[in-house]
Amino acid sequence: MEFKLEAHRIVSISLGKIYSARGQRGGLKLHKNLLVSLVLRSARQVYLSEPGCPPEPPPAPAGHPEEEPPPRTAAWAAEEPPLPPPPQDEAGRDCPGPRPRRCCCGENRGGCAGAPPPPHCPRKRSAGERGQAGSPLKKPRREEEEPPPLPPPPSPPCEQEDMETGNVASLISIFGSSFSGLLSKEPKGRRRPPLDGGEAAAGTAPAEAAAEPGQICCDEPVLRTLNPWSTAIVAF
Amino acid sequence: MGKVMFKHHLNVVTWESTAAAIDARIHSCKGSRNTAHHFFFQVMETERTGIARAAAMQASPHCPANVPQPSSEEVTSGADIISTVEFNHTGELLATGDKGGRVVIFQREPESKNEPYNQGEYNVYSTFQSHEPEFDYLKSLEIEEKINKIKWLPQQNAAHSLLSTNDKTIKLWKITERDKRPEGYNLKDEEGKLKDLSTVTSLQVPVLKPMDLMVEVTPRRIFANGHTYHVNSISVNSDCETYMSADDLRINLWHLAITDRSFNIVDIKPANMEDLTEVITASEFHPHHCNLFVYSSSKGSLRLCDMRASALCDKHSKLYEEPEDPSNRSFFSEIISSVSDVKFSHSGRYMLTRDYLTVKVWDLNMETKPVETYQVHDYLRSKLCSLYENDCIFDKFECAWNGSDSVIMTGAYNNFFRMFDRNTKRDVTLEASRESSKPRAILKPRRVCVGGKRRKDDISVDSLDFTKKILHTAWHPTENIIAIAATNNLYIFQDKVNSEMH
Repeated sequence: MEFKLEAHRIVSISLGKIYSARGQRGGLKLHKNLLVSLVLRSARQVYLSEPGCPPEPPPAPAGHPEEEPPPRTAAWAAEEPPLPPPPQDEAGRDCPGPRPRRCCCGENRGGCAGAPPPPHCPRKRSAGERGQAGSPLKKPRREEEEPPPLPPPPSPPCEQEDMETGNVASLISIFGSSFSGLLSKEPKGRRRPPLDGGEAAAGTAPAEAAAEPGQICCDEPVLRTLNPWSTAIVAF
Repeated sequence: MGKVMFKHHLNVVTWESTAAAIDARIHSCKGSRNTAHHFFFQVMETERTGIARAAAMQASPHCPANVPQPSSEEVTSGADIISTVEFNHTGELLATGDKGGRVVIFQREPESKNEPYNQGEYNVYSTFQSHEPEFDYLKSLEIEEKINKIKWLPQQNAAHSLLSTNDKTIKLWKITERDKRPEGYNLKDEEGKLKDLSTVTSLQVPVLKPMDLMVEVTPRRIFANGHTYHVNSISVNSDCETYMSADDLRINLWHLAITDRSFNIVDIKPANMEDLTEVITASEFHPHHCNLFVYSSSKGSLRLCDMRASALCDKHSKLYEEPEDPSNRSFFSEIISSVSDVKFSHSGRYMLTRDYLTVKVWDLNMETKPVETYQVHDYLRSKLCSLYENDCIFDKFECAWNGSDSVIMTGAYNNFFRMFDRNTKRDVTLEASRESSKPRAILKPRRVCVGGKRRKDDISVDSLDFTKKILHTAWHPTENIIAIAATNNLYIFQDKVNSEMH
C-alpha cells in the first residue's frame, strides 16, 4: 500500500511539474519534461499494479491536475498486454495481473476473472472518462473506429465525468503528444527490453495489438486524437 | 588592474569600481606536503559577484537604457549565476558566461621572476553582453539570454575568438587588443571633428602613438535559426574550420565563415513526436580526428559517429551503453542515468561521462561498459525522491579531465567538488567557499558522513545545502589550475607544490 501511496505522490508531483513547466521562461524544456513523463509512467505502473482500492478522487470542476492522473492513467493501464509487467513493478507481483484489468475496461469483453468490483471502480469509471476525454475530437472518431464486436463504453458512469472532461482536455494539452505518446505506447513499450530503442518495438507492436481487438480500439482513438497536439509540440 | 579599460560592445562602461571588488588574491603556500593526497590546491580566488548589480546601480548617463537592468527578482535569483566556464587552448584566458547573457574573460598575468609568489593570477580582461533576451512571436516564447556554452577557437593570429551560445543562437566573437592609436590626421582634429580646410596648410603623416590598452570585442558571425530545440552544446572541430551545435533532437554542422546555412548531421526526431523517448544531451568532436564526434543521450548511451560514413549520421558507428543494474532500479533510474556531459580525453582514447550519481571513463574501443566508474555522491541514492521533488535531480553537472588525463573532476552539492585520480584510485572532496578558503590556506579535504562514525568537520548528508551546486568546472589545459563556478562566484585554485608531478 505504501508503494501505492508513494507512486501516487510521485504521479501528482510529476503532473505538477509538467503543468508548471508551461509558464516557464524560455519555453518548454523538452529533456526535463521527457524525464518527468518517464517517471510518471513508472509511478503509474507501480500504482496500478498495486492491489488495494485507491482513494476516489472527487470530481473537481476546475484544475486539479493531481486528481486526474489516477483515473486517467488507469484508463491506459486497461490497454496493457497480457505480458507480465517488467521488473520495476516488483510491488505488484501479488496482483492477479493485467487480465482482470483488461476485462474490466469494457466489462462486456469477456468474463471477468472474478476480481471484486471495488478495486476496479476507478478503472471502469476512467475507461468511460477516457472515452469522454477531449470529447469533441474523440467521440466521433471513437464511434468510427469501434469494431462491431466491441460495444460502446459504458455510458452511465461516464455521465458524472462530463464535468471533468474540460480538465482532462486541458491535461491532454499539457501532456502534448510526446508525453501522452509515451503513455499510449505503454503496451508497446513494455514489450521491449529496457535498452532497446522505441523504434524497434513499433514494428512488433501492431502485430501483437491485432490479437487484442479491444486494445486497438483503445489505442487508436487515443493516438489519433492526440495527433493534433503533436503539431503543437512540433511547432515548439 | 587600473590600466585596463573594458569596452562593452554596446557602450563604454568603466569597471574600476567593480574591478576593485573583483580582486584576485594570491596566497603563498607554505604548508607541509601532505603525502596522503597529492592534490592540494591553494586558493587564488577571483570573485565575480555583483557585476550586474554594480552596473545597474551606476544608473547614470554612462549606462544607457539598453543595458539590461536586473529586476528585483533577478538580483536575488541571479543574472550573475555563472552558467559556463572554459579555458582557452593555452590557458591564458578563462571565459565565463552567465544567466544574464554576459561573458567575462579573465586573463592570466604573466609570471614575473621578481615576485615568484605573485605568479599567474587571473584578472578581468574583458566583459561584454553576448546575448539578449529575445521573443519568438510565432511560438509566443521568450528565448533566454543565458549562455549555455562557450568554446574557444584555436588562436590563429593576434586576436582571440570564441563561440558563445544561448538556447537558439550561436555567436562568434573576436577579441582584439588595441594599444596604439593614430594621431595627427590631416582632415580630422583630435576629437574627430572635420577640420576647416582653410586651416590646413601643411600635410603630415599620422603617427601611431601608444595608448592605454583597450580590449575590444566584436561579434563577427551570428549563427541563427539553426535550431528548433534548445542548444545544449557546441564543439569546435580539430580542422578549425567547422563546428557543431547540438540541441535536444538535432546536431548541425556549421562552417565558421558561413552563417546562412548549416548541415544537419544527426536527427533523432521521430516522425511522430509521440514516439519520443530519448533526447541528445551533449556532444563533442574528437580532439584529433575531424571526422569523429560523440553525442550522449538521456538514456545514458553514447554514440560515436563518423562523418565519412554518410551525410546524415543517424546511424552510429559505435554505441556505448552499459546494461542497467537491476538491483538499483527505482522510479528515477531513467533520470539518473541521463548523461549530462561528455568529454573526450586529451589523448582522444577515452571519453568521460557524467550522470547524476557517477562519472564514468569509457574506452573508445570498448562499447559494452565503461572501463572506470567513480561514485560522486552515492549517498544521494536513497534521497532521489526528495531530489526529484525539489528538481535537483535534473541538475546537469559537468566533468573535466586534467591536462595529462590522469585526474578527473566534477562538481557536487554544498559547493563541494570531487577529484578522482585514475592511477592511484584516490579521490578527494574539496569545497569552494569563502568561509573555508582562508588566506594562505591549503584546501582541506571534506567528507560527507553517511551515518556510522562521524569525524570532526564531517558534513552529514542531511545538512548538505542543495542550493549550492557546482555544475561548471574547468581545468587548465596543461597546468594544475582549476576554475570552479559556485553559483555566482568563480573560484580559481592553483596547485603550486605539486605542479612538477603532473
